[in-house]
Amino acid sequence: MRLTQAQQHGIKRLVEETFGPEAQVLVFGSRLQEYRRGGDLDLLIQIAVPTKRPALKSATLAASVSRLLDGRHVDVLLQAPDLRSLPIHRIAASQGVPL
Amino acid sequence: MFETKEPLTEKEVQRWMADSLIAERMDAFVARFSRLQDMLGDKLIPTLLLYLGESVGPAIDNLDKAERFGWIESSHEWMIYRQLRNQMIHEYIEDPAVLADALDAGRSYVESLTMSAETLASEIERRLGE
Repeated sequence: MRLTQAQQHGIKRLVEETFGPEAQVLVFGSRLQEYRRGGDLDLLIQIAVPTKRPALKSATLAASVSRLLDGRHVDVLLQAPDLRSLPIHRIAASQGVPL
Repeated sequence: MFETKEPLTEKEVQRWMADSLIAERMDAFVARFSRLQDMLGDKLIPTLLLYLGESVGPAIDNLDKAERFGWIESSHEWMIYRQLRNQMIHEYIEDPAVLADALDAGRSYVESLTMSAETLASEIERRLGE
C-alpha cells in the first residue's frame, strides 16, 4: 500500500468523522498491488447501522481523502444493511485489506 | 422533474426508473450537470487562470485558486459534487436509495453551480473589457 502511516491515520480519522467510530475501512482494487503506479485509491466502508445521505456522505469522504492525498483520485463504496448488496461489494470485501 | 422540495424517496426513484420518460429526464439532468461542471472546472477555470498568468496544475489546486479569487464558493464543496457526479454517471448506482440521495444532493447544488457560471462569465467580461 502506497500510503504513509500519517495518511492511513488521516484516512481513518476522516472515515470516523463521516461514518462514526464503528465504520470499517478497507482498501481494495488493483491499486493494492505495490508494483502498479500510484494513483487511484478505492475504499470500501462497512457500517452496521443504516445511514442517511449515503451518496452525499460517500462523496464527502472521497473528496476529503482526495484532498489529504493531494488530489489523488479516490472512490468510496459504501456497504450498509439497508443498501443493496452488489457483486462489487462482495469483490471489494473479499479483496479488501483493512486500513 | 423535481416537483417538490421534499427529499426524494427510494420508491419515487424506482417509479421514475420504470417510467422511461422520466428516466430520460433523469439522464438529462445528470448529463447537463456533468457537462456544466466539467466545462467550468476542467476548461473555463484553468483557461482563465492561464490568461491571468497563474500556474495551472491538478484540479484541486485550480479549484483552490478559483475559491481564493471568489469565482466559486468552495473548492471542497466542488470536489464533493464532482464525486457525486461520478457516482451518478457510474452504472453501478443500481441502488435506488443511493441514486435518490445523489439526485437530491445534485439538485441542491444547481444554484451554486449556476452562480459560479455567472461569476466566471462576469469575470471574463471584465477582463476582456480591460
